[in-house]
Amino acid sequence: MRLASRFILIVSGILSVTLALNAYYFIHSQNQLLEQQLNERGRVLGHLIALISPDAMLSFDFLTLNEYAREVSRQRDVVYGVIVNDKGTPLTSFFNHQDPRVLDALQALELDQETAPLTPPKTARLVARLSSSLYDLLPMEFPISHGDRPLGQLKVGISREQLHTQTQRQLLIQSSIYGLIILFLCSAIFWVFRYNVMGPVNRLMAASRNVGLGELKEVAVTSTDELGSLAETFNTMIHAIREEQAKLHYQANHDALTSLPNRMMAIERLEHELRLARRHHELVAVIFIDLDNFKVVNDTMGHAAGDELLTMVGSRLLSRLRDGDTLARLGGDEFLVLLPRVQDPDEVKQIATRLLEATSERLMLHSREVIVHCSIGVALYPTDGISAEELMANADNAMYQAKTPGHPPTCFFTHEMNVRVRQRLQLEQDLHLAVERNELELYFQPIFQAGQCRPIGAEVLLRWQHPQNGTISPATFIPLAEATGLIIPIGDWVLQQATSLLRHWLDLGLAPGTLAINISRLQLQARLIPVIRDLVTQHRIPANVLELEMTENILLDDHAEISETLDQLQAMGLKLSLDDFGTGYSSLSYLRRFSFDALKIDRSFIQGLPQDEDGCALIGAIVVMAHRLGLRVVAEGVETIEQRNFLQQQGCDFLQGYLLARPMTADAYQATLPSQACPQLSNDKEM
Amino acid sequence: MLFHHLHLPVYPQASAPPCRALLLRWTGILLLVLASLLADALTLAPRAATQEPLTLGILPRRNATLTTELFTPLVEYLSKSLGREIQLVTSKDFDTFLQDVKDERFDIVHYNQFHYVRSSAQYRVIAHNREFDRNTVAGALYVKKDSGISRVEQLRGKTIIFGGGKDAMMSYILPRYLLLQAGLQPGDYREIFAKSPPNSLIGLYYDEAQASGAGDILIDLKVVKGSVDTSQLTHLAVTEQLLHLPWAVRRTMENEDAARIQALLIGLEASQEGLAILKQAQMTGIGIANDDSYAPHRRVIDQVMPPSQDRH
Repeated sequence: MRLASRFILIVSGILSVTLALNAYYFIHSQNQLLEQQLNERGRVLGHLIALISPDAMLSFDFLTLNEYAREVSRQRDVVYGVIVNDKGTPLTSFFNHQDPRVLDALQALELDQETAPLTPPKTARLVARLSSSLYDLLPMEFPISHGDRPLGQLKVGISREQLHTQTQRQLLIQSSIYGLIILFLCSAIFWVFRYNVMGPVNRLMAASRNVGLGELKEVAVTSTDELGSLAETFNTMIHAIREEQAKLHYQANHDALTSLPNRMMAIERLEHELRLARRHHELVAVIFIDLDNFKVVNDTMGHAAGDELLTMVGSRLLSRLRDGDTLARLGGDEFLVLLPRVQDPDEVKQIATRLLEATSERLMLHSREVIVHCSIGVALYPTDGISAEELMANADNAMYQAKTPGHPPTCFFTHEMNVRVRQRLQLEQDLHLAVERNELELYFQPIFQAGQCRPIGAEVLLRWQHPQNGTISPATFIPLAEATGLIIPIGDWVLQQATSLLRHWLDLGLAPGTLAINISRLQLQARLIPVIRDLVTQHRIPANVLELEMTENILLDDHAEISETLDQLQAMGLKLSLDDFGTGYSSLSYLRRFSFDALKIDRSFIQGLPQDEDGCALIGAIVVMAHRLGLRVVAEGVETIEQRNFLQQQGCDFLQGYLLARPMTADAYQATLPSQACPQLSNDKEM
Repeated sequence: MLFHHLHLPVYPQASAPPCRALLLRWTGILLLVLASLLADALTLAPRAATQEPLTLGILPRRNATLTTELFTPLVEYLSKSLGREIQLVTSKDFDTFLQDVKDERFDIVHYNQFHYVRSSAQYRVIAHNREFDRNTVAGALYVKKDSGISRVEQLRGKTIIFGGGKDAMMSYILPRYLLLQAGLQPGDYREIFAKSPPNSLIGLYYDEAQASGAGDILIDLKVVKGSVDTSQLTHLAVTEQLLHLPWAVRRTMENEDAARIQALLIGLEASQEGLAILKQAQMTGIGIANDDSYAPHRRVIDQVMPPSQDRH
């Protein structure tokens, strides 16, 4: 039911009840008054007759008494008037035969007054009948006396019929009047309600529906009452929504940190510029900029410093652009520059150079001088693509090309880049199937204790025998596996294979020593613990024959979680070693914070030995520091006898390299393993 | 003499006159009227203009208003016919009326038989009423049919209701005469009086008394029949028929005047105007009467109410 109808219904209901109560009260009061009047009239009449009757009664003037009865009976509303003596015997016989009630009573009593007047008993019966049968009869009795001597009574029956008729007529009139009042009031209220309430409410409803449809229109404020206030509040809400929408629009299209346009807005603008360029046959350049080693700043100086760096770089880049150019931050340390209406690639190259210079300028960050560099990839419309997605993807490819070592910091997109990308995608797809196809294989490069000729274990290496491309280097597919997340199942496969082989070799009575397995930063999660525990349990091997190697950059992430995971792995009995030590960006404090058993000096430090004096000094320092921290030192990439001798001289604990042993298959490694009776391999502590 | 349920006339001429006598009577009436008119034209007319008005007294058996209403046409007729103003005098009650009679304040008077008998020294009767085509009327005693009373003697010790007062000829004196005839003296029964003769009969009906004394034709009157069921009442005894109410003139009135008045009264029946006047006065005629006509009344009255008991 609509609000107006409900309101009218309620109002009419209230009015009806109120007026009905009023009518009831009025009619009831009037009824009482009329009955009182009737009673009074009867009383006056009765008293009058009773007053004048004694003389007639005492003088036996029955004719006069009958005349009195006749006069009484002729009075309005009087049904009968009978004078009885002190014994109750009627002394009068007159009845108004015109009265239908008398006629009915006569008929009911089977009395006939046509032939003769009623006898006293019949008169008495008729009176009794009339006074008892008529519900609306008011019987009254008035004593007639002479002094103290009772002479008789005047019995009068007064009908309330006229009173009821009058009441009914009054009720009808009042009902009609009240009905008209209710009709009039309801109509008036309806129209007032419709124009003053429903009108504004409907406008508000329509405006609200429009808000739901996204159309923010204000409503007209036509009054100063509550509805006017509601309309004003609605308008205020519309303003607030507009502002909020503008804010959301800004937030959706701008980067919160730098206030630069974000990816979404950049794409919109690019599409807009492409439409213009398509119409005017112009060139549009899309430039991808990625800061080099931004993560180092973020990790070493904190996120606040990283944010500040991004803001400053953004400002600098913006200052080098034209008014019509667009600089957007795509996320992280990536920026996008749109250069509409460029004349030729040289102009783009000049601008890119300016951008490189802008980022390369020194800047003060938390009172420290910082220099950042960037890589720039450029794609041009229409030569490198005609759509926004295509141009951005190609600029991104060019930027990655620029990041590749050996390339200039600014790269223009070439179609060969796409070929490489496609190749990379194919390789990625093949890698998904490599495990299933059993194309991966474990290789083992033995690790020797310095001054010893027998290995104390081996580093587990992974090789991929691609059916078409032949052997693929781990340096190629491991980053790919990490980028695609395949490193997790591949890592699990390596662990499973390694522990299975260990079991196999132990079952053969061989002493395989410790197998060092490389763990990616993606693998080092809480799930690694149950995986290794299950494998150790499954293959019934001691945990201490496994050593997990991890690079320094693993430790850059969540310290607490990594530390907890490493602690649990160590608690299980596994050894931990820090791989490629010296090439990462971590501080030495990591060595103290995390409980490693060994560190492996990267081969880049070994290559110049022993001619490189600085390298020699560094090796010496690392070995001393490691020993001081309780760590054993493993030197990788030992390829010459001089290097071996120097490292032995410097106190390196273990050596690994082509000079000592190349990576080999499992079978080849198995062939090198001594039996378990050999004390050098059975005693772990010797390692 | 007691008449049980008999309506025999007292005077034969009053009840069943022979055709010859009737012819002579009407001839006489006609001659009287002619003589009266001739005399009026020749001698009385000049005198009438100078004469005093005549007063006409009517007994107050009805209220003054009704009396005036009933008799005004007659008065006007007489005035016109006599050429002399007639003044109708109504009395508020019987006492006043009788006092005026006694004082001879009326020239013409219409009263009951008892009143005439008692005032016959001052007035002489000239005519009598005829009501319901009857010249006579009788007194009667009534009882209720279911009362078990069949003889007057059974009324001893009973209450008898009479209509009017003790002056009422039909409703008291004649019923008393019947009681006397039955040997019942006034102390032998209890007397109560209703306002009027019809009321005495109605009172009997309403058991106010065991018997009622009233005129014999009362039970047939419409006023009674309209009030009570008269079939439950019956005559116990009826007196002899006696001449109806008298019209009298003062004895000092000249004979010519008395004769003219008598002629005018009895001549009413001869014209439509006169019949209308009679009807208005609730009479069917007026007959000639003289003092001898009321000798039976005097006899009864003397027995019932000797002059020594007369209240006047």
